[in-house]
Amino acid sequence: MTEQAIARETPATRESTTAAISDWAQEVAALAKRWFIELGRERLNLVFSVAQPAIWLIFFGSGIGRAVDRQVIGTSDYTGFTLPGIVAFTVVGGGVAAAMPLMWDKEGGYLDKLMSMPISRSSIIVSRFVYQFVLASFQVAALVVVALLAGVSFELGPFAVVIILVTAGLLSLAVTASFSALAYWVPGHGTFFAITGFITLPLVFMSNAFVPVDALPRWMEIVARLNPLTYAIEAMRLPIIKGWDGDILVALGVLGAFSLACLAVGAQQFNRQTADRVQ
Amino acid sequence: MTAMIEAHALVRSFGSTRAVDDLDLQVEAGEIFGLLGPNGAGKTTTIRILATLLAPSGGTARVCGFDVMTHPQEIRRRIGYVMQKISPTRNLLTGRQCIEMEASLYHVPRREVRARAEELLELVGLLPHADRQFNQYSGGMQKRLDLACGLLHRPQLLILDEPSLGLDVQSRHKVWDYIHDLRRQGVTILLATNYLDEADRLCDRLTIIDRGRVVVTGTPSDLKRAVGADVIQVTTAEPAPLAAAIAGQTWLQRHAVSEAGELHAHVTDAAAALPALMGIAAARSIPLETVTYTRPTLDDVFLLHTGRELREEEVTA
Ligand SMILES: Nc1ncnc2c1ncn2[C@@H]1O[C@H](COP(=O)(O)OP(=O)(O)OP(=O)(O)O)[C@@H](O)[C@H]1O
Ligand SMILES: [Mg+2]
Repeated sequence: MTEQAIARETPATRESTTAAISDWAQEVAALAKRWFIELGRERLNLVFSVAQPAIWLIFFGSGIGRAVDRQVIGTSDYTGFTLPGIVAFTVVGGGVAAAMPLMWDKEGGYLDKLMSMPISRSSIIVSRFVYQFVLASFQVAALVVVALLAGVSFELGPFAVVIILVTAGLLSLAVTASFSALAYWVPGHGTFFAITGFITLPLVFMSNAFVPVDALPRWMEIVARLNPLTYAIEAMRLPIIKGWDGDILVALGVLGAFSLACLAVGAQQFNRQTADRVQ
Repeated sequence: MTAMIEAHALVRSFGSTRAVDDLDLQVEAGEIFGLLGPNGAGKTTTIRILATLLAPSGGTARVCGFDVMTHPQEIRRRIGYVMQKISPTRNLLTGRQCIEMEASLYHVPRREVRARAEELLELVGLLPHADRQFNQYSGGMQKRLDLACGLLHRPQLLILDEPSLGLDVQSRHKVWDYIHDLRRQGVTILLATNYLDEADRLCDRLTIIDRGRVVVTGTPSDLKRAVGADVIQVTTAEPAPLAAAIAGQTWLQRHAVSEAGELHAHVTDAAAALPALMGIAAARSIPLETVTYTRPTLDDVFLLHTGRELREEEVTA
């Protein structure tokens, strides 16, 4: 049941394409509303989620920053240097949280109900992304405030913050989609937490989050260059410590392509839920 | 009449278990059709295939005129599906929020969402509780909310998996009333159940399934009639004269006097035979102590075709 079947049904005319997009927007909005209502009932969750990255930044910036060699990181402002790393770390953690309700729906049976409805294969993941991106925006806002108070100067000014938000959005889409795919794929939540627990920290440390790529040992450098987080961090770091640079667009391009690929995998995993899984 | 569901030689295996095994099913538009069978018979598996949630391992199924494998999205637009299990993951939403969300997922026009949700909450008697959280609902209220959610997009076919599981008698009768009303409005209904009385009272036709296979299909009364006669049991001080007196009556198929001295009269239709029998006893002044009769149930139908009681536990494959 499958992509071809759905492709064949996809309306060809312009009018029905508009209708399909409007339906899709209605689905995403309805599902996102559910996530925000739930957040509204658990406001402490919001408080802690927003405060946590800001505390990390203070910890890294003023604590570890003193032990860092300025020559190696290429700036005297370790707080500014590591801010993108904290954003990336936060967004990756958010991706795990984003996939959890999908797993509860799967285990509780509500996913079946959702799949029996005429909804697009991507709308659930995209609704989680919308929710997670709004949350990430609050987290970034808190981080920027703390950074400003700590004396970080953003070379690109307010535009740097825009680039950070765009990057956080793309990265958020990538991790939300891939952890959702994982949630659909695993037999139960035990496997999900074992795998996410295993990969999230290495994912962050095997990147340029806290140390520039060039300063990493050779083997870690290779891993870091293959790690999509490195590109996200690069795109956020340049506007803070250097200013405008064409590499920002390159990094965003790599990240954007990766995010779309993750979304395709996530939607396909959702689809597989109706196929011949259990043998 | 057009077929709403047509399944031929449907098979679904899970490893070495054949949950659905060469099943044929034909449900006509406008009828209430039952799938009756013991635990593990394959009812839910069949329904999941028809609701486009599970690919069959073999055979074909068409729902609302579309093939489940090639046009799942067309089917999803036309069916309502109420699951056997109640999922707790909507716990933090109110009943109204749950149903409005599902209305949007069924693409009810944005402006009508609120009104449609209220109309259905009203139908299932939940309007007074609309703004309470789902986890504060009783099991029966949760089940009724799910039922309402299945009707949001005015489906042609409503698939109900054990609609009255866990409901008290009163709620169950209410659910039966809604189902009858829906049929009157032209909705076709497929329901799975393992309650004999539900299958008997509610369904126009039903298929009894066991171990993934069709045992027998027909209207409840035809199926029961095929089992045989009603039995009238009479206790009296003088069974022999009564037996002699009723012998040869047209309504009597056969009779016997049990060791305990009870007269057992097997009759075509107890409702017609009872007054006749009591009339004969009165005319001969034979005093009767008790008169009871039993009709065949769907349990007897199952027993006749499988040699087992419907109430037997989980089938091990
Ligand atoms: N996902 C699955 N994996 C493995 N076996 C399954 C799966 N789903 C169902 N089965 C098996 O298929 C058989 C039929 O199950 P099904 O749920 O269709 O029965 P049912 O008639 O709905 O029973 P009940 O009255 O208990 O709801 C059972 O033996 C069950 O164990
Ligand atoms: Mg079942």
